[in-house]
Amino acid sequence: MLDGFRNNRELSILVVATLCCYLFLETQIDGAAFGGQGGFSSIDIIVISFFVSVIIAVIAVIAGVGGGVIFTPLLLAFTSFDTLLIRSTGLVVAMFSGLISTGPLMRKGLADIKLVLLGALPIIVGGMSGSFTAIHLAQQFGEKSDGIIRLLLGLMLLLIAALFIFKSGTSDYPVLKKSENFSQRLKLRKTYWESSLSSYVSYRATNVKLSIFLFLLVGFTGGFFGLGGGWAAVPLLNLVMSIPIKVATGTSGVLLALGNAAAIWPYINVGALIGIIAAPWMLGQVIGGLIGASLLTALKASVVRALLITILFGSSLKLVARGIESLTGVEIPVL
Amino acid sequence: MRLYQKSLIPISGVIYGQTIYWLTLLSSCLVLLGTIISFLEKDSPIPANQLLQSVIDGKSVDQIWHGIGLSAAPDMFFFLANPSFGESITMIGIGIGVSSVVPATFFSAYFLKKSRNPVFAVLAVMAGLLTCFAVSGITL
Repeated sequence: MLDGFRNNRELSILVVATLCCYLFLETQIDGAAFGGQGGFSSIDIIVISFFVSVIIAVIAVIAGVGGGVIFTPLLLAFTSFDTLLIRSTGLVVAMFSGLISTGPLMRKGLADIKLVLLGALPIIVGGMSGSFTAIHLAQQFGEKSDGIIRLLLGLMLLLIAALFIFKSGTSDYPVLKKSENFSQRLKLRKTYWESSLSSYVSYRATNVKLSIFLFLLVGFTGGFFGLGGGWAAVPLLNLVMSIPIKVATGTSGVLLALGNAAAIWPYINVGALIGIIAAPWMLGQVIGGLIGASLLTALKASVVRALLITILFGSSLKLVARGIESLTGVEIPVL
Repeated sequence: MRLYQKSLIPISGVIYGQTIYWLTLLSSCLVLLGTIISFLEKDSPIPANQLLQSVIDGKSVDQIWHGIGLSAAPDMFFFLANPSFGESITMIGIGIGVSSVVPATFFSAYFLKKSRNPVFAVLAVMAGLLTCFAVSGITL
Protein backbone atom coordinates (compact mmCIF):
# COMPACT_ATOMS: atom_id res chain seq x y z
CA MET A 1 0.00 0.00 0.00
CA LEU A 2 2.82 2.37 0.90
CA ASP A 3 4.32 1.87 -2.57
CA GLY A 4 1.12 3.20 -4.12
CA PHE A 5 1.43 6.43 -2.14
CA ARG A 6 5.18 6.72 -2.68
CA ASN A 7 4.64 6.58 -6.45
CA ASN A 8 2.03 9.30 -6.30
CA ARG A 9 3.46 12.47 -4.83
CA GLU A 10 0.38 14.69 -5.20
CA LEU A 11 -1.83 12.20 -3.40
CA SER A 12 0.66 11.73 -0.58
CA ILE A 13 0.66 15.51 -0.10
CA LEU A 14 -3.14 15.56 -0.01
CA VAL A 15 -3.28 12.80 2.62
CA VAL A 16 -0.73 14.54 4.86
CA ALA A 17 -2.42 17.94 4.42
CA THR A 18 -5.85 16.48 5.28
CA LEU A 19 -4.57 14.72 8.40
CA CYS A 20 -2.75 17.93 9.51
CA CYS A 21 -5.95 19.95 8.92
CA TYR A 22 -8.08 17.70 11.14
CA LEU A 23 -5.34 17.46 13.77
CA PHE A 24 -5.20 21.28 13.81
CA LEU A 25 -9.00 21.54 14.20
CA GLU A 26 -9.05 19.00 17.04
CA THR A 27 -6.15 20.50 18.98
CA GLN A 28 -6.24 24.25 18.26
CA ILE A 29 -9.94 25.14 17.93
CA ASP A 30 -12.29 25.31 20.91
CA GLY A 31 -14.86 22.67 20.01
CA ALA A 32 -17.33 23.86 22.66
CA ALA A 33 -17.88 27.10 20.71
CA PHE A 34 -19.29 25.13 17.77
CA GLY A 35 -21.99 23.17 19.61
CA GLY A 36 -22.44 19.44 19.32
CA GLN A 37 -24.49 16.49 20.44
CA GLY A 38 -24.10 14.02 23.28
CA GLY A 39 -20.51 14.02 24.43
CA PHE A 40 -19.19 15.11 21.03
CA SER A 41 -18.46 18.65 19.84
CA SER A 42 -19.23 19.59 16.21
CA ILE A 43 -15.50 19.39 15.46
CA ASP A 44 -15.40 15.84 16.86
CA ILE A 45 -18.33 14.97 14.60
CA ILE A 46 -16.52 16.46 11.56
CA VAL A 47 -13.32 14.49 12.31
CA ILE A 48 -15.25 11.26 13.01
CA SER A 49 -17.17 11.79 9.73
CA PHE A 50 -13.86 11.93 7.87
CA PHE A 51 -12.60 8.64 9.32
CA VAL A 52 -15.97 6.91 8.85
CA SER A 53 -15.93 8.11 5.23
CA VAL A 54 -12.46 6.60 4.75
CA ILE A 55 -13.73 3.25 6.12
CA ILE A 56 -16.86 3.39 3.92
CA ALA A 57 -14.73 4.12 0.84
CA VAL A 58 -12.38 1.20 1.59
CA ILE A 59 -15.33 -1.22 2.03
CA ALA A 60 -17.12 0.20 -1.02
CA VAL A 61 -14.11 -0.09 -3.32
CA ILE A 62 -13.30 -3.66 -2.22
CA ALA A 63 -16.95 -4.77 -2.41
CA GLY A 64 -17.30 -3.12 -5.82
CA VAL A 65 -20.17 -0.77 -4.86
CA GLY A 66 -20.35 3.02 -4.57
CA GLY A 67 -19.99 4.53 -1.10
CA GLY A 68 -23.48 6.06 -1.31
CA VAL A 69 -25.14 2.67 -0.83
CA ILE A 70 -23.55 2.45 2.66
CA PHE A 71 -23.53 6.14 3.64
CA THR A 72 -27.13 7.14 2.81
CA PRO A 73 -28.95 4.27 4.58
CA LEU A 74 -26.68 4.49 7.65
CA LEU A 75 -27.26 8.21 8.13
CA LEU A 76 -30.97 8.04 7.30
CA ALA A 77 -31.42 5.23 9.79
CA PHE A 78 -29.26 6.41 12.67
CA THR A 79 -29.19 10.25 12.59
CA SER A 80 -31.79 12.98 12.74
CA PHE A 81 -30.24 14.94 9.83
CA ASP A 82 -32.64 16.25 7.19
CA THR A 83 -33.18 13.59 4.49
CA LEU A 84 -32.49 15.99 1.58
CA LEU A 85 -29.17 16.91 3.20
CA ILE A 86 -28.24 13.25 3.65
CA ARG A 87 -29.15 12.35 0.08
CA SER A 88 -27.18 15.24 -1.44
CA THR A 89 -24.13 14.37 0.67
CA GLY A 90 -24.73 10.72 -0.32
CA LEU A 91 -24.23 11.71 -3.95
CA VAL A 92 -20.92 13.41 -3.03
CA VAL A 93 -19.89 10.20 -1.27
CA ALA A 94 -21.00 8.14 -4.27
CA MET A 95 -19.08 10.13 -6.84
CA PHE A 96 -15.74 11.33 -5.41
CA SER A 97 -13.99 7.96 -5.11
CA GLY A 98 -15.05 7.42 -8.74
CA LEU A 99 -13.77 10.85 -9.81
CA ILE A 100 -10.30 10.45 -8.29
CA SER A 101 -9.88 6.95 -9.73
CA THR A 102 -10.95 8.02 -13.26
CA GLY A 103 -7.41 9.08 -14.23
CA PRO A 104 -5.57 5.89 -13.14
CA LEU A 105 -8.32 3.60 -14.49
CA MET A 106 -8.33 5.25 -17.91
CA ARG A 107 -4.51 5.20 -18.07
CA LYS A 108 -4.50 1.45 -17.33
CA GLY A 109 -7.29 0.73 -19.83
CA LEU A 110 -9.55 -0.65 -17.06
CA ALA A 111 -12.39 1.74 -17.89
CA ASP A 112 -13.91 1.90 -21.38
CA ILE A 113 -14.64 5.46 -22.55
CA LYS A 114 -17.20 4.23 -25.11
CA LEU A 115 -19.19 2.30 -22.49
CA VAL A 116 -18.97 5.30 -20.15
CA LEU A 117 -20.44 7.62 -22.78
CA LEU A 118 -23.09 5.08 -23.84
CA GLY A 119 -24.35 4.78 -20.24
CA ALA A 120 -23.84 8.44 -19.38
CA LEU A 121 -26.89 9.95 -21.10
CA PRO A 122 -29.50 7.58 -19.61
CA ILE A 123 -27.83 7.81 -16.18
CA ILE A 124 -27.71 11.64 -16.30
CA VAL A 125 -31.34 11.93 -17.45
CA GLY A 126 -32.47 9.31 -14.91
CA GLY A 127 -30.37 10.85 -12.12
CA MET A 128 -31.66 14.38 -12.68
CA SER A 129 -35.26 13.12 -12.87
CA GLY A 130 -34.68 11.25 -9.59
CA SER A 131 -33.27 14.37 -7.89
CA PHE A 132 -36.09 16.62 -9.09
CA THR A 133 -38.66 14.02 -7.96
CA ALA A 134 -37.02 13.79 -4.51
CA ILE A 135 -37.01 17.59 -4.07
CA HIS A 136 -40.61 17.86 -5.36
CA LEU A 137 -41.73 15.13 -2.95
CA ALA A 138 -40.03 16.90 -0.02
CA GLN A 139 -41.68 20.23 -0.93
CA GLN A 140 -45.13 18.67 -1.43
CA PHE A 141 -45.33 16.34 1.53
CA GLY A 142 -42.90 17.91 4.01
CA GLU A 143 -42.10 15.61 6.93
CA LYS A 144 -44.35 12.86 5.59
CA SER A 145 -41.99 12.48 2.61
CA ASP A 146 -39.19 11.56 5.07
CA GLY A 147 -41.24 8.57 6.20
CA ILE A 148 -42.02 7.53 2.63
CA ILE A 149 -38.33 7.82 1.64
CA ARG A 150 -37.13 5.81 4.65
CA LEU A 151 -39.70 3.06 4.04
CA LEU A 152 -39.00 2.81 0.29
CA LEU A 153 -35.23 2.88 0.79
CA GLY A 154 -35.46 0.22 3.52
CA LEU A 155 -37.37 -2.08 1.17
CA MET A 156 -34.95 -1.38 -1.66
CA LEU A 157 -31.95 -2.16 0.55
CA LEU A 158 -33.49 -5.52 1.44
CA LEU A 159 -33.66 -6.19 -2.30
CA ILE A 160 -30.02 -5.13 -2.82
CA ALA A 161 -28.83 -7.28 0.12
CA ALA A 162 -30.77 -10.25 -1.31
CA LEU A 163 -29.15 -9.60 -4.69
CA PHE A 164 -25.71 -9.77 -3.07
CA ILE A 165 -26.59 -13.03 -1.28
CA PHE A 166 -28.28 -14.89 -4.12
CA LYS A 167 -26.30 -13.55 -7.08
CA SER A 168 -24.77 -16.67 -8.59
CA GLY A 169 -21.35 -15.08 -8.89
CA THR A 170 -20.04 -12.65 -11.44
CA SER A 171 -18.26 -13.84 -14.53
CA ASP A 172 -14.61 -12.75 -14.53
CA TYR A 173 -14.14 -13.19 -18.26
CA PRO A 174 -17.50 -13.69 -20.05
CA VAL A 175 -17.36 -15.91 -23.11
CA LEU A 176 -17.26 -13.87 -26.32
CA LYS A 177 -20.80 -13.93 -27.74
CA LYS A 178 -21.96 -12.72 -31.11
CA SER A 179 -23.11 -9.17 -30.50
CA GLU A 180 -26.21 -7.69 -32.13
CA ASN A 181 -26.07 -5.30 -35.12
CA PHE A 182 -26.50 -2.20 -32.96
CA SER A 183 -23.44 -3.09 -30.87
CA GLN A 184 -21.43 -3.94 -33.98
CA ARG A 185 -22.27 -0.62 -35.60
CA LEU A 186 -21.11 1.23 -32.47
CA LYS A 187 -17.91 -0.87 -32.43
CA LEU A 188 -18.44 -1.71 -28.74
CA ARG A 189 -15.53 -4.11 -28.53
CA LYS A 190 -12.10 -3.78 -26.99
CA THR A 191 -8.97 -5.62 -25.99
CA TYR A 192 -7.14 -4.83 -22.77
CA TRP A 193 -3.98 -6.06 -21.07
CA GLU A 194 -4.88 -8.38 -18.14
CA SER A 195 -1.84 -8.30 -15.89
CA SER A 196 -3.01 -11.20 -13.66
CA LEU A 197 -3.13 -13.46 -16.76
CA SER A 198 -0.17 -11.80 -18.50
CA SER A 199 -2.21 -11.76 -21.69
CA TYR A 200 -4.69 -9.71 -23.66
CA VAL A 201 -8.42 -10.17 -23.04
CA SER A 202 -11.02 -9.25 -25.67
CA TYR A 203 -14.67 -8.48 -25.08
CA ARG A 204 -17.75 -7.42 -27.05
CA ALA A 205 -20.75 -5.66 -25.51
CA THR A 206 -24.11 -7.44 -25.81
CA ASN A 207 -27.77 -6.48 -25.03
CA VAL A 208 -26.98 -2.81 -25.62
CA LYS A 209 -30.57 -1.53 -26.09
CA LEU A 210 -31.81 -3.30 -22.93
CA SER A 211 -28.83 -1.94 -21.02
CA ILE A 212 -29.60 1.66 -22.03
CA PHE A 213 -33.08 1.28 -20.48
CA LEU A 214 -31.63 -0.32 -17.33
CA PHE A 215 -29.06 2.52 -17.00
CA LEU A 216 -32.01 4.95 -16.97
CA LEU A 217 -33.52 3.09 -13.98
CA VAL A 218 -30.16 2.93 -12.19
CA GLY A 219 -29.77 6.71 -12.67
CA PHE A 220 -33.26 7.44 -11.33
CA THR A 221 -32.88 5.37 -8.14
CA GLY A 222 -29.38 6.79 -7.61
CA GLY A 223 -30.59 10.39 -7.90
CA PHE A 224 -33.81 9.85 -5.93
CA PHE A 225 -32.30 8.05 -2.93
CA GLY A 226 -28.79 9.61 -3.11
CA LEU A 227 -27.32 6.10 -3.34
CA GLY A 228 -25.21 6.42 -6.46
CA GLY A 229 -25.66 3.18 -8.37
CA GLY A 230 -22.49 1.12 -8.20
CA TRP A 231 -24.42 -1.79 -6.69
CA ALA A 232 -26.44 -2.07 -9.92
CA ALA A 233 -24.05 -0.79 -12.59
CA VAL A 234 -21.37 -3.47 -12.06
CA PRO A 235 -23.78 -6.45 -12.41
CA LEU A 236 -25.44 -4.69 -15.35
CA LEU A 237 -22.16 -4.28 -17.22
CA ASN A 238 -20.86 -7.73 -16.30
CA LEU A 239 -23.95 -9.96 -16.45
CA VAL A 240 -26.10 -8.16 -19.05
CA MET A 241 -23.47 -6.60 -21.32
CA SER A 242 -20.83 -9.40 -20.95
CA ILE A 243 -18.02 -7.03 -19.94
CA PRO A 244 -15.13 -8.62 -17.93
CA ILE A 245 -15.53 -7.93 -14.21
CA LYS A 246 -12.40 -5.75 -13.87
CA VAL A 247 -13.44 -3.46 -16.74
CA ALA A 248 -17.05 -3.50 -15.47
CA THR A 249 -15.95 -2.34 -11.99
CA GLY A 250 -13.64 0.37 -13.40
CA THR A 251 -16.18 1.57 -15.97
CA SER A 252 -18.96 1.63 -13.35
CA GLY A 253 -17.01 4.00 -11.06
CA VAL A 254 -16.18 6.38 -13.91
CA LEU A 255 -19.72 6.22 -15.34
CA LEU A 256 -21.42 6.94 -12.02
CA ALA A 257 -19.07 9.84 -11.28
CA LEU A 258 -20.23 11.38 -14.57
CA GLY A 259 -23.91 10.56 -13.96
CA ASN A 260 -23.98 11.81 -10.38
CA ALA A 261 -22.25 15.06 -11.43
CA ALA A 262 -25.53 16.11 -13.02
CA ALA A 263 -27.78 14.57 -10.35
CA ILE A 264 -26.14 16.56 -7.55
CA TRP A 265 -26.77 20.04 -9.01
CA PRO A 266 -30.52 20.19 -8.34
CA TYR A 267 -29.64 19.62 -4.64
CA ILE A 268 -26.86 22.26 -4.68
CA ASN A 269 -29.16 24.80 -6.32
CA VAL A 270 -31.77 24.53 -3.56
CA GLY A 271 -29.14 24.81 -0.80
CA ALA A 272 -29.46 21.13 0.16
CA LEU A 273 -25.70 20.55 0.12
CA ILE A 274 -23.85 22.16 3.02
CA GLY A 275 -20.12 22.47 2.42
CA ILE A 276 -18.89 22.15 5.98
CA ILE A 277 -20.88 18.90 6.39
CA ALA A 278 -20.01 17.44 2.97
CA ALA A 279 -16.27 18.30 3.14
CA PRO A 280 -15.06 15.51 5.48
CA TRP A 281 -17.17 12.96 3.62
CA MET A 282 -15.75 14.08 0.28
CA LEU A 283 -12.12 14.07 1.47
CA GLY A 284 -12.63 10.69 3.14
CA GLN A 285 -13.85 9.25 -0.14
CA VAL A 286 -10.87 10.59 -2.08
CA ILE A 287 -8.35 9.16 0.41
CA GLY A 288 -10.30 5.97 1.30
CA GLY A 289 -10.88 5.24 -2.39
CA LEU A 290 -7.13 5.16 -2.93
CA ILE A 291 -6.48 3.01 0.15
CA GLY A 292 -9.25 0.62 -0.94
CA ALA A 293 -7.77 0.33 -4.42
CA SER A 294 -4.37 -0.47 -2.85
CA LEU A 295 -5.85 -3.07 -0.45
CA LEU A 296 -7.93 -4.69 -3.17
CA THR A 297 -5.47 -7.51 -3.76
CA ALA A 298 -4.61 -8.10 -0.08
CA LEU A 299 -8.08 -8.47 1.48
CA LYS A 300 -10.57 -11.30 1.02
CA ALA A 301 -13.50 -9.93 -0.95
CA SER A 302 -15.84 -12.48 0.69
CA VAL A 303 -15.21 -11.00 4.17
CA VAL A 304 -15.96 -7.48 2.96
CA ARG A 305 -19.05 -8.71 1.10
CA ALA A 306 -20.37 -10.33 4.31
CA LEU A 307 -19.76 -7.07 6.20
CA LEU A 308 -21.58 -5.11 3.49
CA ILE A 309 -24.60 -7.47 3.60
CA THR A 310 -24.76 -7.11 7.40
CA ILE A 311 -24.68 -3.29 7.12
CA LEU A 312 -27.38 -3.34 4.43
CA PHE A 313 -29.70 -5.64 6.41
CA GLY A 314 -29.19 -3.69 9.67
CA SER A 315 -29.85 -0.35 7.98
CA SER A 316 -32.86 -1.65 6.06
CA LEU A 317 -34.58 -2.96 9.21
CA LYS A 318 -34.03 0.33 10.99
CA LEU A 319 -35.18 2.33 7.93
CA VAL A 320 -38.40 0.32 7.52
CA ALA A 321 -39.12 0.71 11.25
CA ARG A 322 -38.49 4.49 11.16
CA GLY A 323 -40.54 4.83 7.96
CA ILE A 324 -43.55 3.06 9.50
CA GLU A 325 -43.13 5.05 12.73
CA SER A 326 -43.25 8.44 10.97
CA LEU A 327 -46.14 7.46 8.70
CA THR A 328 -48.36 5.79 11.31
CA GLY A 329 -47.13 7.16 14.62
CA VAL A 330 -46.80 3.60 15.95
CA GLU A 331 -43.49 3.09 17.75
CA ILE A 332 -41.52 0.04 16.63
CA PRO A 333 -38.63 -0.97 18.90
CA VAL A 334 -35.69 -1.86 16.61
CA LEU A 335 -32.09 -1.40 17.86
CA MET B 1 5.11 -5.13 -27.46
CA ARG B 2 5.23 -1.93 -25.42
CA LEU B 3 3.99 0.14 -28.34
CA TYR B 4 1.16 -2.32 -29.00
CA GLN B 5 0.14 -2.24 -25.36
CA LYS B 6 0.01 1.57 -25.43
CA SER B 7 -2.02 1.63 -28.61
CA LEU B 8 -4.88 -0.31 -26.89
CA ILE B 9 -5.67 2.60 -24.60
CA PRO B 10 -7.57 5.34 -26.46
CA ILE B 11 -6.20 8.86 -26.05
CA SER B 12 -9.76 10.19 -25.62
CA GLY B 13 -10.08 8.11 -22.44
CA VAL B 14 -6.71 9.17 -21.08
CA ILE B 15 -7.46 12.88 -21.68
CA TYR B 16 -10.88 12.43 -20.02
CA GLY B 17 -9.32 10.74 -16.99
CA GLN B 18 -6.44 13.17 -16.53
CA THR B 19 -8.68 16.25 -16.75
CA ILE B 20 -10.96 14.88 -14.01
CA TYR B 21 -8.07 13.66 -11.86
CA TRP B 22 -6.29 17.03 -11.66
CA LEU B 23 -9.48 19.05 -11.21
CA THR B 24 -10.55 16.69 -8.39
CA LEU B 25 -7.20 17.23 -6.66
CA LEU B 26 -7.61 21.02 -7.02
CA SER B 27 -11.13 20.68 -5.66
CA SER B 28 -9.89 18.69 -2.62
CA CYS B 29 -7.33 21.40 -1.80
CA LEU B 30 -10.01 24.12 -1.94
CA VAL B 31 -12.35 22.06 0.26
CA LEU B 32 -9.57 21.65 2.85
CA LEU B 33 -8.80 25.38 2.78
CA GLY B 34 -12.50 26.25 3.06
CA THR B 35 -12.93 23.94 6.06
CA ILE B 36 -10.09 25.59 7.98
CA ILE B 37 -11.29 29.12 7.14
CA SER B 38 -14.85 28.22 8.23
CA PHE B 39 -13.59 27.40 11.73
CA LEU B 40 -11.21 30.37 11.97
CA GLU B 41 -13.25 33.24 10.50
CA LYS B 42 -15.07 35.68 12.76
CA ASP B 43 -18.31 37.53 11.91
CA SER B 44 -19.04 35.44 8.83
CA PRO B 45 -22.58 35.78 7.45
CA ILE B 46 -22.53 31.96 7.24
CA PRO B 47 -21.32 31.07 10.75
CA ALA B 48 -20.03 27.51 11.00
CA ASN B 49 -21.27 27.02 14.56
CA GLN B 50 -24.91 27.83 13.71
CA LEU B 51 -24.78 25.82 10.51
CA LEU B 52 -23.38 22.74 12.27
CA GLN B 53 -25.76 22.94 15.22
CA SER B 54 -28.81 23.34 12.95
CA VAL B 55 -27.83 20.27 10.92
CA ILE B 56 -27.18 18.21 14.07
CA ASP B 57 -30.55 19.30 15.48
CA GLY B 58 -32.23 17.84 12.38
CA LYS B 59 -33.62 21.12 11.03
CA SER B 60 -34.88 21.18 7.45
CA VAL B 61 -32.84 22.84 4.71
CA ASP B 62 -35.05 25.96 4.67
CA GLN B 63 -34.98 26.25 8.47
CA ILE B 64 -31.18 25.96 8.46
CA TRP B 65 -30.69 28.86 6.04
CA HIS B 66 -33.44 31.04 7.56
CA GLY B 67 -31.91 30.38 10.97
CA ILE B 68 -28.63 32.01 9.99
CA GLY B 69 -30.39 35.04 8.56
CA LEU B 70 -30.44 34.31 4.83
CA SER B 71 -33.77 35.04 3.16
CA ALA B 72 -33.33 32.16 0.70
CA ALA B 73 -31.17 29.06 0.47
CA PRO B 74 -27.90 30.02 -1.28
CA ASP B 75 -27.06 28.51 -4.67
CA MET B 76 -23.68 28.33 -6.39
CA PHE B 77 -24.05 31.89 -7.75
CA PHE B 78 -24.29 33.17 -4.17
CA PHE B 79 -21.07 31.39 -3.23
CA LEU B 80 -19.30 32.69 -6.37
CA ALA B 81 -20.42 36.22 -5.52
CA ASN B 82 -19.08 35.88 -1.96
CA PRO B 83 -15.88 33.88 -2.45
CA SER B 84 -14.07 34.94 0.73
CA PHE B 85 -16.18 32.98 3.25
CA GLY B 86 -15.08 29.51 4.35
CA GLU B 87 -18.40 27.92 3.35
CA SER B 88 -18.16 29.59 -0.09
CA ILE B 89 -14.61 28.29 -0.68
CA THR B 90 -15.70 24.78 0.35
CA MET B 91 -18.73 24.86 -1.94
CA ILE B 92 -16.72 26.28 -4.85
CA GLY B 93 -14.22 23.43 -4.28
CA ILE B 94 -16.99 20.82 -4.35
CA GLY B 95 -18.47 22.59 -7.39
CA ILE B 96 -15.14 22.35 -9.28
CA GLY B 97 -14.92 18.64 -8.43
CA VAL B 98 -18.41 17.76 -9.58
CA SER B 99 -18.10 19.98 -12.68
CA SER B 100 -14.74 18.49 -13.70
CA VAL B 101 -16.64 16.12 -15.99
CA VAL B 102 -17.75 19.04 -18.22
CA PRO B 103 -14.35 20.03 -19.69
CA ALA B 104 -13.36 16.35 -19.62
CA THR B 105 -16.28 15.34 -21.87
CA PHE B 106 -15.60 18.21 -24.30
CA PHE B 107 -11.85 17.42 -24.57
CA SER B 108 -12.70 13.76 -24.96
CA ALA B 109 -15.24 14.57 -27.71
CA TYR B 110 -12.52 16.33 -29.72
CA PHE B 111 -10.23 13.29 -29.60
CA LEU B 112 -13.10 10.88 -30.27
CA LYS B 113 -13.96 12.84 -33.41
CA LYS B 114 -10.31 12.79 -34.47
CA SER B 115 -10.20 9.02 -34.01
CA ARG B 116 -13.29 8.59 -36.24
CA ASN B 117 -15.83 7.88 -33.51
CA PRO B 118 -18.38 10.59 -34.39
CA VAL B 119 -21.30 8.92 -32.55
CA PHE B 120 -19.41 8.86 -29.26
CA ALA B 121 -18.09 12.38 -29.85
CA VAL B 122 -21.72 13.55 -30.09
CA LEU B 123 -22.64 11.53 -26.97
CA ALA B 124 -19.75 13.15 -25.08
CA VAL B 125 -20.88 16.66 -26.10
CA MET B 126 -24.46 15.86 -25.11
CA ALA B 127 -23.35 14.51 -21.70
CA GLY B 128 -21.32 17.70 -21.14
CA LEU B 129 -24.23 19.93 -22.20
CA LEU B 130 -26.70 18.08 -19.97
CA THR B 131 -24.36 18.56 -17.00
CA CYS B 132 -24.07 22.28 -17.90
CA PHE B 133 -27.88 22.42 -17.93
CA ALA B 134 -27.91 20.90 -14.42
CA VAL B 135 -25.23 23.37 -13.23
CA SER B 136 -27.23 26.34 -14.58
CA GLY B 137 -29.90 25.77 -11.95
CA ILE B 138 -32.77 25.68 -14.40
CA THR B 139 -35.52 23.60 -12.84
CA LEU B 140 -38.10 21.62 -14.73
